[in-house]
Amino acid sequence: MTDNNVPVIDVRHADKHFGKLHVLRDISLSVNRGEVVVIIGPSGSGKSTLCRTINRLETIDSGEILIEGVPIPPEGKKLAAMRSRIGMVFQSFNLFAHMTILENVVAAPRSVLRRNKKEAREEALRLLERVGVADQKDKVPAQLSGGQQQRAAIARALAMRPKAMLFDEPTSALDPEMIGEVLTVMTELAADGMTMLIVTHEMNFARRVADRIVFMDEGAIVEENTPKEFFECPRSRRARDFLSSLRDR
Amino acid sequence: MSISALLDKYGSLYLQAMLTTWRLTVISFAGAMLIGLIVTVIRVCPIRPLRHLGDFYVQIFRNIPGAAMLILLVYALPYLKLNFPYETCVLIATVMIPSAFCSEHLMSGMNTISPGQIEAARALGFTFFQMILRIVIPQALRSAVLPLTNLLVATMLTTSLASQVPLRPRDLTGIVSYINTRDVGGVAAFAISAALYCFTGLALGRLGGWIDRKVRILR
Repeated sequence: MTDNNVPVIDVRHADKHFGKLHVLRDISLSVNRGEVVVIIGPSGSGKSTLCRTINRLETIDSGEILIEGVPIPPEGKKLAAMRSRIGMVFQSFNLFAHMTILENVVAAPRSVLRRNKKEAREEALRLLERVGVADQKDKVPAQLSGGQQQRAAIARALAMRPKAMLFDEPTSALDPEMIGEVLTVMTELAADGMTMLIVTHEMNFARRVADRIVFMDEGAIVEENTPKEFFECPRSRRARDFLSSLRDR
Repeated sequence: MSISALLDKYGSLYLQAMLTTWRLTVISFAGAMLIGLIVTVIRVCPIRPLRHLGDFYVQIFRNIPGAAMLILLVYALPYLKLNFPYETCVLIATVMIPSAFCSEHLMSGMNTISPGQIEAARALGFTFFQMILRIVIPQALRSAVLPLTNLLVATMLTTSLASQVPLRPRDLTGIVSYINTRDVGGVAAFAISAALYCFTGLALGRLGGWIDRKVRILR
């Protein structure tokens, strides 16, 4: 399973409809070990949906998705086990409202991985330290700022020691002054070699951190490129239009 | 008879009746919570026919009058060769009916949980039961303390069904009929029971309010 040639995430010809809306059109995308892939595109382009199909929070109509070469299992214990190895960070943080920050980070390692209480706690404290919210550990989510909540949510995902992390617009719900602190944590993760698939609107961050940019529009991947080429001379007309619409703002 | 004369003569019986009502209330509410929790889990489980079964249970027991159910239990079940003691019949009614209401309160408690938290739990690899136990039930319970307090008081009042069968020792309602068939207690005999119901209900209300403040979830 540690074969470095097998992509960690491998999406093959995925198609999906929401009723009449064709949200994913023949998507093929792979993310290799240690790679940081950033998906950008206009809203409604299907990038969040794609991100959510990878741990089957959304199903696909046809095609297949493999994690380390293994197809995603259908609903059940095997799917839960697979999900536990892929970290996910949401736009709206989604911390458990009735637990303290520390309990949030300890819960899944204890319940899902049956890890020893003391070890789970120590690791959680290390992770909270790493994302800079250790001093908030005994508060409940509602007492934290959005940026702090999102960093705690990243710690919660990391506590499962995931093979890859999915970020679904992690800074879109944050006040501008809090975006930086979350992006800093993500940049550090990328530097540590974490395999990451990131949906974001933060273009400077994408340019700095991505190994590869995937540009989506109307449910299809329009362009896959290096960050430098994508932002300096995109190959596709739609990518050019998208980037210039951002500059006009 | 005056209230003080009644208390002189029947004070210890009233006390015993109050303790009986308390005992029936505790057993009924504990049973109702347990069954209510189980029914609620069934009503949100991934298997559709089971969900319908859970909904059906709630519709049946939410809509059946307690007295009608008690009559069925006491007079109809013996035809099926099921002879339960009177107290068991009363308790079946005072558990099943409040359990349906309990489930409804827990369902509305669940609705306070943001869908995102459920997605997060699934994304972390929680199985259905792990998620129910660690995420859903704790939040549903903590959000439903006040309605459940209501239910506890209502359950206590429902235990007055015990007065309709020859239960010994008598409950707070049963004791009134007992006294009024022996003495001329009149309204005063009722008033004492009413005061004891009231006292218990107020105390439970205070307790519920206190628990709610302790466990309420900040959002």
